[in-house]
Amino acid sequence: MKKKIVFLIVMLVLVAGTYTGYKYLYKDHRDITKEVAVMETTAAGLQEQFQNNAADALLNKTLTVTGVVTQIESRSITIEDKVHCSFESAVTGVAVGDQVNLKGRCIGYDDLFEIVKLDQSTLIYTE
Amino acid sequence: MKLTFFMTICLIASTICSAQKYSSKTGTIDFEASVPSFEEVKAVNENVSAILNTDNGEFASLALVKGFRFKVALMEEHFNENYIESSQFPKAIFKGKLEDFNFSEVSENDAEYMLKGTMTIHGVTEPFETSVKIKKVNGVIELQTEFELKPEKFNIKIPKIVSNKIANEVFVRAIYSLSN
Repeated sequence: MKKKIVFLIVMLVLVAGTYTGYKYLYKDHRDITKEVAVMETTAAGLQEQFQNNAADALLNKTLTVTGVVTQIESRSITIEDKVHCSFESAVTGVAVGDQVNLKGRCIGYDDLFEIVKLDQSTLIYTE
Repeated sequence: MKLTFFMTICLIASTICSAQKYSSKTGTIDFEASVPSFEEVKAVNENVSAILNTDNGEFASLALVKGFRFKVALMEEHFNENYIESSQFPKAIFKGKLEDFNFSEVSENDAEYMLKGTMTIHGVTEPFETSVKIKKVNGVIELQTEFELKPEKFNIKIPKIVSNKIANEVFVRAIYSLSN
């Protein structure tokens, strides 16, 4: 009886250990759509923050940005030529000139286009 | 002082604007450093910026390092935090020139050019050259290249414990569809 209990406990520990180990090694990617944004800003405000070198803390953070759409590509939109937001799938239901609010992960500032880039974006609203 | 600086910037900006430019904000760079029978070490960045000046063949490309996506989340975390240190060095930049580039010769068939310049990764700038294939289809310039990079050249240290799981040479592929 005692042996059985010890055996059971050892088995349980082993299974739990393997499970947590596996969960650690193969943990899920961040789900930006479910994360709460650390900052709500406008396209102009975000670009200005990067141009003043005051935005290191925003790297890899989830942000929401509002502004007017100035360019649409198959899987990305540009807001006011200041913020480029890429999506995981095709962008639908938006037109150039729309006022949008979207959420995405800030990956940094692109000196070539003088534009801030977000990835894994999702639209919150369009009007 | 400030005014002269501002005027120089304006001057540079205007010369850049007057030149014929083809560009993209959604170029793709993927790299692979897999070793057989170990977990695949591979990432893709689909938001790479690039600008080609078709008057003189000058080419620049900038990849935001945090934009590289791995299949395994933990690998992505280690890549950013321990190897490429993307918070400290968020950008990977190439600046250079296509040799003997003549825009009028670019056709719908791939032509090979040498691209020479400097590559900055992980805060280290190294001379770099590679051969690129260029063609023009429906007004879009398709530019692609493949090359290998050594992490140690850019002061990226791979710990001994994982060094047998990561290839010494990282195979890189870049594809851009540039439009004006």
